[in-house]
Amino acid sequence: MIIRVARDKGERYDDYNVDNINGITILDLLFQIQEDIDPTLTFRYSCRGAVCGSCAILVNGIPVLACKTPVSRVRDMESGDRVTLPSENEFPDGGILVEPIPKLPVIKDLVVDWEPFFKEYRKLEPVLKIDKNPPDKEYLMGKDDKRELEKYTNCILCALCWSACPVIGNVEGYPGPAALAKLFRFYLDPREPNNIKRLSFADKDNGWWACDFHKNCKAVCPKGVPPNLAIGKARKELKGEVDRK
Amino acid sequence: MNDKNIHKHDVLVVGGGLAGLRSALAACDKGSDTAVVSKVYPLRSHSVAAQGGINAALGNSPGSKNDTWKDHAFDTIKGSVYLADQDAVEILCREAPKAVVELEHWGTVFSRDEKGKLAQRPFGGAGVPRTCYAADRTGHNLMNTLFEQATSRGIKFYNEYFVTSLVVDQDRCCGCIAIDIITGDLHAFASNSLIMATGGHGKIYNRSTNSLINTADGQAMAYRCGAALKDMEFVQFHPTTLYGSNILITEGARGEGAYLINSEGERFMSKYAPKAKELAPRDIVARSIVKEIEAGRGFEDQYVHLDLRHLGAEKINERLPGIRQIARDFADLDPAEDPIPVQPGQHYSMGGIDVDIDGKTDLAGLYGVGECACVSVHGANRLGGNSLLETLVYGKIVGENACKGAKKISNINVVKDAMDRERVKLKGFLSGEGEDFATLMLELRKTMFDKFGIFRDEDNMQEGLSNLYDLKDRFEHIGIKDKGKIFNQSLLRILELGYMLDVAETVAVSAIKRKESRGSHYRTDFPDHNDDQFLKHTIIKKEEGKSPSIYFSPVKFGLFPVKEDGY
Repeated sequence: MIIRVARDKGERYDDYNVDNINGITILDLLFQIQEDIDPTLTFRYSCRGAVCGSCAILVNGIPVLACKTPVSRVRDMESGDRVTLPSENEFPDGGILVEPIPKLPVIKDLVVDWEPFFKEYRKLEPVLKIDKNPPDKEYLMGKDDKRELEKYTNCILCALCWSACPVIGNVEGYPGPAALAKLFRFYLDPREPNNIKRLSFADKDNGWWACDFHKNCKAVCPKGVPPNLAIGKARKELKGEVDRK
Repeated sequence: MNDKNIHKHDVLVVGGGLAGLRSALAACDKGSDTAVVSKVYPLRSHSVAAQGGINAALGNSPGSKNDTWKDHAFDTIKGSVYLADQDAVEILCREAPKAVVELEHWGTVFSRDEKGKLAQRPFGGAGVPRTCYAADRTGHNLMNTLFEQATSRGIKFYNEYFVTSLVVDQDRCCGCIAIDIITGDLHAFASNSLIMATGGHGKIYNRSTNSLINTADGQAMAYRCGAALKDMEFVQFHPTTLYGSNILITEGARGEGAYLINSEGERFMSKYAPKAKELAPRDIVARSIVKEIEAGRGFEDQYVHLDLRHLGAEKINERLPGIRQIARDFADLDPAEDPIPVQPGQHYSMGGIDVDIDGKTDLAGLYGVGECACVSVHGANRLGGNSLLETLVYGKIVGENACKGAKKISNINVVKDAMDRERVKLKGFLSGEGEDFATLMLELRKTMFDKFGIFRDEDNMQEGLSNLYDLKDRFEHIGIKDKGKIFNQSLLRILELGYMLDVAETVAVSAIKRKESRGSHYRTDFPDHNDDQFLKHTIIKKEEGKSPSIYFSPVKFGLFPVKEDGY
């Protein structure tokens, strides 16, 4: 099978011929190339179990984590309803095209600079702001509150949603789906007094209101986080369409 | 010489996982100028992979109303087969409720019981339900909380900086040298106190649940500078790792009631641990599974089944959603419909850099915390739910102590000179022409699993040790094909291999020295434990140009006398 990989800053594409692809993931495949064929091939990795968010890449235009994508499933993914992003090169016949995720500067091969993504995350002050005198024990929290929060705290900040969001790159200063979902998570948190203020952090044209609800964010999220839902609910709250608690 | 490549901080933390972040927060809160150096973006650290939970005697569960820190300490010490230092365990268990509640106040979304309190589940080796959890994503949730706290306090991060060596001057650690991975440039860091928090050394083994980045960096660097390592022979094998990829399947699954089943349909743990069954400590369950497979009662001679089906889809979704996702993603099955194929795999390093209860090593200016260190709260076998706890409790203690210790101002010129020497050394690596690192790495991991695995004996270990010496010789003539500067992973992986080879040797030598069985260290030629000779810590130190020196040091008792009592 031909594996075509974007190299350096995308100036060239290299084709690798890999025979043994039985039962392996795209990440295994990249290691095979690095260890057996081309040691200069560069890509990020860590947990290899879809929890650390290191290995976000494009496979045949589809934004995925390399570690949880079996090579054998790439064909099915293409015929399914996956979000596919424009590629800079042709898919090799019957093979696989591997590229870095778009909308972040490429450092080398499949490694991108995460800083623009995390800069937006930091801007929204992602930290719980509680009373100066918290209780001696834990705050009490209902199971429903926990379940609602968990939808958003499952985010692993892998930046796949950023790369798939049509608004990123079109609207200057848009925080992106992950940062907005994080902000919404603090708005929801019953432990934070005045958490209603949280919504105002992104109450501007290039904040909550810039989303066009393509829902690519939820579609590509490897953890099932729905930023689009958070954004929709935040807008309703701000428009006063929801009774405040 | 470029001055922007020279940095100075009161407290420098190497490693951005839970132990690193918690100690950085403690140092920062005490007013020290604190920085974290991490070879990955902190949120990519292995701590995010911790699933099942964190222990604290909160007494929230109906089954644990009268739970106290002493009960927690007893379970921990019994699980350690009495090798844990009891003063260190006392601190761990006394401080546990405060540490867990602090993280709750800082924002961690823990799972809740009916009253809204922190829910607690049963875990292996624990007398009562004592393990708090955030579904089966406890590490991920704690990591995000600590990262949020650290970011909001403006702690300085050097992300994707790979530390290549410590700098020692006049018998004192005064900083380190690191490669900025993205640019390939070298940087020198001067510190008054340096806290090593680089995680475990699981990747010296194949069949490991560990992240690919757990390559013994901190242990090796400390050891090379003359700091002692402790109890290195104690390597935990987790009973249930996914067959094929060895991704962790949390003990929480058994805590929630899952069964281990052999190919004859038998729930076999009742033979090995009649009372605790699936919830016996990990060393016992792991050996039982291997015995079943070796007796021909496994599947394909490789694995047994972990059966969650009777828990029902609702409970699995509520308590174990991550496990369901892992089974779907990595084994193409739904645990609500089918059993999960599991086998034991390397999971945790009980041994590490020898530190006292203040986190001090025997090298002034150098501290250690978390899995890379051994304060000795886990002894010969760690209980599930105690490692996350250790990172928080000792992270705070060690971070605060590192501030107190930060008196002597390190000399910038010393680290500058060390950086120049390091540059020459790395150039040497980059010009190497010879054998490839990948072959050596695979041989190392196979040797460690086959010869220093779940069952050990003298002959096999001696053979393994000579394999290791052969690999170390071959490492001297290693080749590198990538001569580039930017993000040169070949260079990093060779440096990691060097760390792993040094630390693997200490595991091997320590394991051969301990002629008894205790906890995770099981020798078929010495199947019983021998308290008279071996209820002691193994201490190993590097000797220039010859074999390491090895000796025993006493265990600290005081809470509970040694007692023979099964599970």
